[in-house]
Amino acid sequence: MAKVRNENTVLLSEEKIERDLLSNINWSNKFKIWFGFLTALLVVCLWFYVLQLRKGLGVTGMNDIVSWGIYISNFVFFIAAALIGMLISSVLGMIGYTWIKPISRIAEIIAVAFAMVAGIVIITDMGRPDRLHHVLLYGRIQSPIIWDISVVMTYLMLSLLLLYIPLIPDISLCKEKLTGLPKFQKKLYKVLSLGWAGNEAQYKTIKRYFKILLILIIPVALAIHTVTSWLFAMTLRTGWDSPIFGPYFVSGAFVAGCAAVLIAMYFIQKNYKLQAYITDMHFDRMAKLLVLVSLVYVYFNINEILVPAYKFKPSEVKHIGNLLYGHDSLLFWLVQGGGLIVPFMLLMIPKMRKPLPAMLISVVILVAAWFKRYVIVVPTQLEPYLPIQNVPESFHSYMPTLPEIAITVGTLVMVLMIISVLTKLFPVVPVWEMKEELLEEQHQ
Amino acid sequence: MKNFVLLLLFVLPLFVAAQDNWQVPTAEQEKLSPYVFDNDMVKDGEVLYENFCISCHGTVTKNNPIVFVPSPGDPASEKFQSQPDGSIFYKISNGRGGMPSFAPTLEEEEIWSLIGYFRNFNREYVQPEFDYGDEVLSELAMVLSYDPNVDKLVVKVTSNGEPKSGIQVGAAVKGLFGKFILGNVGTNEKGLAWFDVDRNMPGDEEGNLTVQVRAQEGYSIKKAEEKMQLVNPTERTNLIAGRHLWSKAIKAPIWLIVVFNLVISCIWGIIIYIIIGLFRLKKVS
Ligand code: HEC
Repeated sequence: MAKVRNENTVLLSEEKIERDLLSNINWSNKFKIWFGFLTALLVVCLWFYVLQLRKGLGVTGMNDIVSWGIYISNFVFFIAAALIGMLISSVLGMIGYTWIKPISRIAEIIAVAFAMVAGIVIITDMGRPDRLHHVLLYGRIQSPIIWDISVVMTYLMLSLLLLYIPLIPDISLCKEKLTGLPKFQKKLYKVLSLGWAGNEAQYKTIKRYFKILLILIIPVALAIHTVTSWLFAMTLRTGWDSPIFGPYFVSGAFVAGCAAVLIAMYFIQKNYKLQAYITDMHFDRMAKLLVLVSLVYVYFNINEILVPAYKFKPSEVKHIGNLLYGHDSLLFWLVQGGGLIVPFMLLMIPKMRKPLPAMLISVVILVAAWFKRYVIVVPTQLEPYLPIQNVPESFHSYMPTLPEIAITVGTLVMVLMIISVLTKLFPVVPVWEMKEELLEEQHQ
Repeated sequence: MKNFVLLLLFVLPLFVAAQDNWQVPTAEQEKLSPYVFDNDMVKDGEVLYENFCISCHGTVTKNNPIVFVPSPGDPASEKFQSQPDGSIFYKISNGRGGMPSFAPTLEEEEIWSLIGYFRNFNREYVQPEFDYGDEVLSELAMVLSYDPNVDKLVVKVTSNGEPKSGIQVGAAVKGLFGKFILGNVGTNEKGLAWFDVDRNMPGDEEGNLTVQVRAQEGYSIKKAEEKMQLVNPTERTNLIAGRHLWSKAIKAPIWLIVVFNLVISCIWGIIIYIIIGLFRLKKVS
């Protein structure tokens, strides 16, 4: 077992671990203000959604030519961010990296929050959400949209289980140790702890289940984002018609996800005073991981842009030109250079991998990752094979409207709410795993 | 040089004005078509028009010729139609300025068919009788048959029961949008003309093709159209039959249904197994 704890660990004891890690479970005033703010924001956004429900998708900037706008870009972004759970817990966990233990739950929470809201984001893009069930009733199994829906549901379920199963011992601990909690919360812990007694056999069982899920989530996670990419790549449209869209999306997802985890780590560490558990070392390693996945993503970007740009196929000239030096070039280069290349280069400097700079760089990467999805989704639609003719002037371009932006912000708010509640309801760092590790260290 | 340009400036308008008035010699004006403007003639004319003329004269009746001075004009227009057949024949044959001369490219009969096509747009037009004079028009008759030994279409031309030799016979297969020419052959002393037929040509389910044959001797023309069993039967398959990725939901490919459901049920099977196991966690000890 790798020795990865820093010197703080030496001072840890079982009691201290429990005290430290359960301390965040309370409804502090600070949290109430934060949550109240989010709720107020969400209400405003919901009002715009009601407007869209009543007036239809006409309130958005979408039109006959650009029928996928920021809703779909946002959806792709959410699915991307949701993929990180798989990378951290599954891939790194199974390779045997124990340093991910304190942050794996954060990664899982992020995965669950984004996957949950991704489903809602898709609904916001529907003109008649009351006909949602028609997708199941009349959907064609040949359509990537049906695959997408199936795989999103599956991934969400797996992520929930991956979050929940290692939580069971901790929930039971909460039930026993925490006092002065609201009644509903006590009841919740009681139901969710499933009569956990903490015996050897139970640990063995959940560890077995956990392992099965860790393996299962890898193909499903790859599938979810590959299928999302197929929503585009299975068409003949310029800029989407690419056989490497699957790996391109998956590698991009890891970039967004790592950045999201780094940001969450920073705020959780600071707010819940978890410096002894989420250490500089964790930031350093996560940042290095971010550099690695960024490099992979840059590699795919080069392929995705350079190959068509070198050939300049007649049908692609306009699209590529638009990205490289035309209408969308500013956004394109900001996203590629400012949001990917410069940040990962900065992260190669050790000092930049300290918590604060790493967090700030991650914010830039995450924002760029959102706009990157926009660059993938929207410009292609403005270059159809048949010329855009006999349409209103406004159809020649796409600009999201206020309701559209508000609804998108609303979905982001929902993600923050889910993350906030989950991190307040349960220990963010697995208590029993920390204890286990402590025991192991003491043995040595 | 300067003077020349000035001269041109003065002369050019006069020249253009002169162009408006396209004189046709009187003798030429009186020329008439020996061919009757029947449906076949009009159809031939339409095809020719679309091949040679539409690029300048535009779609007939739409009045959309290319911009040109003097304007080519629309063949259905008053300016065209008010002229005698002979004038139009003369103009197409000889051309002027932007209008090419078609005498080297088109047969006389073809030019007449173009005129037949134009006249088709004029309800008041009655084709003037052509004076055949002393020429005796022979009554031609044709019999079509198929010789399976040599894969050939055989056309026998007779007049008053006698085989006619040296008669030009043209044969074609009628298609949806035009015709496929089989050839142009003169009859032998037995009055027979032979045409190669490729048995792989697409026909109907029974292998039938519609053959159009035309025999001509002087101004005497005989046409025949017949449905004949000439080629291998075509098997028609329903294009939307069977299972396809692009078809309806109920026509999804089996492999896709199997793979999709297998994968989904395997994964959800494991999920359900784990969930049930979790509910039994209490009893584990
Ligand atoms: C390259 C362009 C062009 C093409 C091809 C062309 N024409 Fe013309 N045509 C003209 C122009 C220009 C005129 C006017 C000439 C003039 O008045 O000097 C004209 C004039 C005519 C006229 C005389 C119209 C009148 O009002 O007196 C006839 C008839 C005619 N074209 C028939 C035809 C036919 C039939 C064809 C096809 C076999 C044909 N043209 C193809 C350009 C063209």
